[in-house]
Parts: sequence; structure tokens; C-alpha cells
Amino acid sequence: MLNDFLILMKQELGVTLLIFILLFIKLAKKEWKNETVLGLVNILLFVNLAAGFFFIHKGTLFGDMFRTSELLSFEKNILNLGTLIISLQSYSWLKQHKHVPEFYMLMLSTLLGMFFMISSSNLLMFYLGLELSSIPLAAMANFDLDKKRSSEAAMKFIMSSAFSSGLLLFGISMLYGATGTLSFSEISWQLTTLSSLQVFAFILLIAGFGFKISAVPFHLWTADVYEGSPVAVTSYLSVISKGAILFVLVSVLYNVFQPLDSAWYKMLFLVSVLTMIIGNLFALRQQNMKRFLAFSSISQVGFILIGITGESIQGSASVIYFVMIYVFSNLAAFGVISLVSAATGRENVDDYKGFYKTNPVLSWALTIGLFSLAGIPPTAGFFGKFFLLLAGAGKGNYWLITIAALNMVVSLYYYLRIVKAIFMEANDTPIENVKISFAPKIAMLICVGGIIITGFASGAYKYIYSLF
Amino acid sequence: MTASQIIFYILSAFILGTAILSVTTRKIFRAAIWLLFSLIGVAGLYFWLEVEFIAAVQIVVYVGGIVVLIIFSIFLTEQSGKEMAKAPLVRTIASVLAVLFGFAFTYLLIHNYGFRAGDKKFDWSVSKIGSQMMGTGEGGYSLPFEVVSILLLAAMIGCIVIAIKNQPGSPAVSQENDQTKNSKSDENA
Repeated sequence: MLNDFLILMKQELGVTLLIFILLFIKLAKKEWKNETVLGLVNILLFVNLAAGFFFIHKGTLFGDMFRTSELLSFEKNILNLGTLIISLQSYSWLKQHKHVPEFYMLMLSTLLGMFFMISSSNLLMFYLGLELSSIPLAAMANFDLDKKRSSEAAMKFIMSSAFSSGLLLFGISMLYGATGTLSFSEISWQLTTLSSLQVFAFILLIAGFGFKISAVPFHLWTADVYEGSPVAVTSYLSVISKGAILFVLVSVLYNVFQPLDSAWYKMLFLVSVLTMIIGNLFALRQQNMKRFLAFSSISQVGFILIGITGESIQGSASVIYFVMIYVFSNLAAFGVISLVSAATGRENVDDYKGFYKTNPVLSWALTIGLFSLAGIPPTAGFFGKFFLLLAGAGKGNYWLITIAALNMVVSLYYYLRIVKAIFMEANDTPIENVKISFAPKIAMLICVGGIIITGFASGAYKYIYSLF
Repeated sequence: MTASQIIFYILSAFILGTAILSVTTRKIFRAAIWLLFSLIGVAGLYFWLEVEFIAAVQIVVYVGGIVVLIIFSIFLTEQSGKEMAKAPLVRTIASVLAVLFGFAFTYLLIHNYGFRAGDKKFDWSVSKIGSQMMGTGEGGYSLPFEVVSILLLAAMIGCIVIAIKNQPGSPAVSQENDQTKNSKSDENA
């Protein structure tokens, strides 16, 4: 029992251990220097990531409250990697911050929540994991402690997440009333005899999910929260937190709500079309880089939802593959913005005019990231979107694919607008040369390397496909 | 109509009435007190359902704990005695319409489809709840229990970080440097 416990839950236990190490560092008599804490945490995060690749087993614990498998471990490894990259990228911001251990404690508790959420096979554990992964995030959004906008972002985030949790809980309680159980396997077994109460509960659940992944029409909180939060938190919100919820959404839809698939197919169709179009239209006219990436990430969610409408295995494999690539490409873009913002405090698109003249390396990193987000071959983003659309086309739904293709053209325009500003436009006061310290450099290398390698090596998708 | 049904409607009317008063009153302290009554009504509903333990928990946690906490935090703010500004007419109309729509929608759904609950029997004796709360095996809830404790820890840390920010004398690593930096970036934002 103890062996099972230690091996199956090793990723969760590792993160918990990290939280407690940080707690004791904070409580120590002697105050630690920020540099020391950051160095130690980054090494520990790396060890934590590396440990995730060993001793992978399949099994359940605590009477079916917790399950794990190769696929779930892989998903957790992606999240671990993303967290490490964000931690490395925010090095220069955190170095000047007063509350470094607290920042990591909060970030790791949200990561722990995501792990439990991914591993849940019970609605109660799912809900608790979701709360654990969103409440500390609100505190993290407030981490630019002297800025009013940051507090505003935190307030908006906690309000909207409380509201969406309310919807979700209402749905869960109705589902419990209709089926009499919280366990995923029993629910899916009960759903074979369909009743209208179950469908209604399911609609509420989907609305709750929609809030969390900020799909249109549940997206209104996204831009303000992304703009107000510190860049590290914004990238964490848009990549890690969203990715984790997408992982759960895919597995819940295909495994638990499979009997309702004709209902959720229509819902996802509508939501994904709306999300793509509205995300794109708003992204066109943004001036702030973070806001711009917020809307671009909304439209990316629209593409992901297309993948989910496809056949089960193909759909989930393509979504997981896309999220992995999305981690690399979005973090490459956010990494550059984070460095520039920490060094100069400038975040507008116009500030990036003539960026290439002063910062050629960062310009290339940002450009590769944006190309990958836009889905231009040979970057990995192209293959990510390709597999998503392929999965969506598996059901013969060519209208959806056509709309998606048109939207990709629109998105190409606004991504290239930034690239044009960087390389071609002149600026009287360009951003001065930003010094890149060691940690962000590694993060940048991982991101750009990830984009290019996953673009050229086809093994990754096959590997994910083989995990099912 | 049986006596049980009559009691149910009385309880529901009590809960809804006090809840409406709680959101419409313009003194924030009174809102908290009306909320207290509404929560007691919910406890009454649990008694009506014959789940005495849940009813007791409802009274201890919500009525005894949370409302007292809310009242304390109202006292800590400076605005506790003042009347809040009157809501604009448009907002009142919009919220009334939203409530009516929600009510009509729910009624329509229930009327047309007749939601049927599952027919599973539950065992809610206190001893069962106790052994499930600490159980690690089938039907045990010890893992969620632990996850909730981590959540509380994280929430506490988050609150402390946010609350501590306005204290000028707090030991900072490089406060001076920090503030100049932030004020500079604020101007740019």
C-alpha cells in the first residue's frame, strides 16, 4: 500500500514537498536572499520534472478517488515543464520582489490542484482540484503589489471564477441528484438511460468549463485579468492553467459524457465557431501586448474545441499534442514580453517597433513563437493545428473546417503585424538592449528548441497516440 | 396539500424572502443579519429533509462561523454604519427581469420535462459520515480532506501576502529600488 502510494502519487508528493520546503525557508530565522531561493527552486523544479519521467505506473488509489496512467503522467510532465519555463523566465522580475517564496508556494499549490484535477476519477476530487488550481491564482494575479491594475485583475478573476464554480457546482449537484453518485465510471454507466435533468446538468458543467478555458461567450474576464496581472502570472494563466483544464475537459467528455455526445457535439460546434471569430476580431485591434495575447489565446481555444469535436482517440491525442506545442510557442512569446516588461516596463505593440535593431536575439525568439502560434510551417504550431483540424474533419464536418481555415488567415494577419513592427518599422525611441541573464536564456532555448524540434520530429504525436 | 408540503412552502418562502431583503437592504450590516436568517431557513429545510447532522453542520458552520466572520469584517471596514447609494433604476429593472427570466426558464424546464431524481438510497448516519471522512479505502474521503487542507494553506498564504502590502515598515529586500521601479512602470502603464 505504502509503495503504491509513493510511486503512483509521486508527482503530487513531489510538488507538496516543494511547497513545504518553501514554507520552511520562509519561516527560517535568517532571511534567505532572493537569488539563493530562486536558484534552489529552479533546481528543485527541474528535479521534479525529471522525476516525472521515471517509474510510471497505472493504478488507482484511495478507493478510486485518484487514478494515474502513462497518459496522465505525460500530461503532468507537460505542466511541470511549463512551470519550470515560467519560473526561469520570471527570474529577473522575481529577483526584485519581496515575496518570492510565497509566489512559488502559491504557484505550486495551483500546480498541485491541476495534478489532482487531471488524476481525478470523482466529481468531488475534480471540483477540489479545480478550486485549488484557481483560488491561489487570484492571489498571484495581485502580485504586482503596488499596482492598482493588478488588484483589479485579482478581484475580477476571483469573482468570475467564483461565479463559474457556482455554475459548475450547480451542475454537479444536479448530476448527483440524477445519478446518485459522484464517481466518473458510475456516472457514465448511469447516463446510458438519458434523462432531461442529466442534459441540463451537463449544460451547466460545460458553461463552467467554458469560463475556465475562456471560450466565448464566457470570455469577458480574460483580457482584463491578463492585462493587469504580472507577466509571469499571465503566462501561467494562459498556458498552464488553461492546458490543465483542457486535459480534463477532453478526458471528461470522452470518458464520462460519451453517451451524450450528440448533445455536446452541437454545443462545441457553436462555441468553437464563436470563440474563433470573436477572439480573432478583438485580437485585431489590441494595442497592449498582453491583451493581444489574451485574445489570441481565446481564438486558439476555438481551434482546440474543433479537435475535441472529432473522434475520441484522435481528438484527445491532437488536443494534448497541441497543448504541448502551445506551451512552447506561447511561452516563447510571453518570455520575451516578460523580459522587456521587467527591464523597461513597456508593453505596447507600438513599443516593439524597431525591436530588431536593438534586440536581435529576442526578436527572433518572439518571431518564432508568433509564427508557431499562427501555424506557419515548419514550426510546430502548424502540425498542432493540422492535427486538430484533421481530428475535427474525422466526422465529416467540413463547414467547421472551412470556418477554421478562414480564421487562420485572419489570425495570420495580426501575428504578422507584430512581426512587421519588429523588423520593418522605424521607431525614435526603441526599447533599449535588454540584458538576458542565465535563467531566462535557458527558458528561451527550451521554448525555441521545443518549437523547432517538435516541428521537425514527427515522433511526438505518435507517442501521444500510442499512450491511449 | 399535506402538512409536510405546507411546511416546505413556508420554509422556502422564509428563505427566499430573507434572501431578497438581504440583497435589497441598503445598510450592509442589515444585509448580513438577513443572510443569517436565510441560512437558518436552509438549516430548517435540512431538518425537514430529516438530515439532522447536515442541519447541525449548517447552523454551526454557516450561521455560527461564516456570518460572524462577515459581521466582523464589516465592523473592520469604515463604512459599516453608512447607507449605500441607491441602485439606479435601470439596474433594478434589469435585475428584476433577470430574476423573472431565470424563474420562468426553470419553471418551464421542470414543467415540460419533469426532472426525475435518481432512486439511490443514502445512509447519512453520523457514524457512517465519520468513518467515511477518515477512510482511505472504497468510499473514503481522506484524500479530498487533505486536498482541502492544502487549499486552506494556500489561501492563507495568499491573503497574508495581499494584506501585508500596505504596511510601510515591513522588512523588504530592496524596497527602495522596488518602489522607484514600480512607479516608473506605472507611469508607462
